[in-house]
Amino acid sequence: MNENSWNLIPGNLVSDNLFSISLILLLFVMGFSFGLDKEAMVKLKRTGTKILVLPFLVALGSLLGGLLGGLVLHIDIVGSMAVSAGYAWYTLAGPLIGQLFGAEFGVLGFATNFLRELFTIVAIPLIFRFDRHAPVASGGASTMDTTLPVIVRYCGSDMLITAFSNGFILTLMAPFTIIALASLI
Amino acid sequence: MLDPTDLLKLLLPLIGGILLGYLLRSKAQLKLDKLTFVIIIALIFSLGFGIGSNNELLGSLPKVGLSSLVISLLAIFFSVFFVKMAKRMVKF
Repeated sequence: MNENSWNLIPGNLVSDNLFSISLILLLFVMGFSFGLDKEAMVKLKRTGTKILVLPFLVALGSLLGGLLGGLVLHIDIVGSMAVSAGYAWYTLAGPLIGQLFGAEFGVLGFATNFLRELFTIVAIPLIFRFDRHAPVASGGASTMDTTLPVIVRYCGSDMLITAFSNGFILTLMAPFTIIALASLI
Repeated sequence: MLDPTDLLKLLLPLIGGILLGYLLRSKAQLKLDKLTFVIIIALIFSLGFGIGSNNELLGSLPKVGLSSLVISLLAIFFSVFFVKMAKRMVKF
């Protein structure tokens, strides 16, 4: 994978810069609309610290999904759980899982987590109808950057902190979860 | 791995935006929807462009197609399911 200043996605210089600029701009605009919104702080106080539980629920759900996926597909369960432990962070999952579980799982790790992020972006209107927090759950670690903008757009600007902290915590958890699973092979 | 400077690059514009929005509260009533939409398109385009320009990646995707679809959908389903169940038990 190519190196870029973000270490978030592979790609050439053009897409790297466009990605970086878009992301910075978007985060700024997101923050700006959050700051403007008089209701935002009220809504935020109402949700409180309970919202920190969310990433752990997402992690559990993802791992269960990975476990069942491995059973259904008749592939190594630890491997499939490691794949789901990427929580949509495909640029970590691909290489790390490839290193620890072999090339095939590495590719699976990349593809699965990429699809997860893509699905979240594309199907967000559907996902949102199921539950207000569902897109954040679906997006996993990507809710701190790549899916943050679409989430704020569909779920409201009061979802900003929830989505960002969810993504942040899952981003921290992903490598540890994958490495911990690797020790179980 | 997540790099401290990466986090700073993400947090700074976010916090900067929040501060500016807060300061301009009584003065600005901008319609940011269209601008946001355009930037989202740019973001998604650059993601796609990056993926598309990487031959290694593209070649490997068809091989694991079905498996990755199954695992990703199951992971999403249970993540959403657990969150929804938790919301029913505890108000958040």
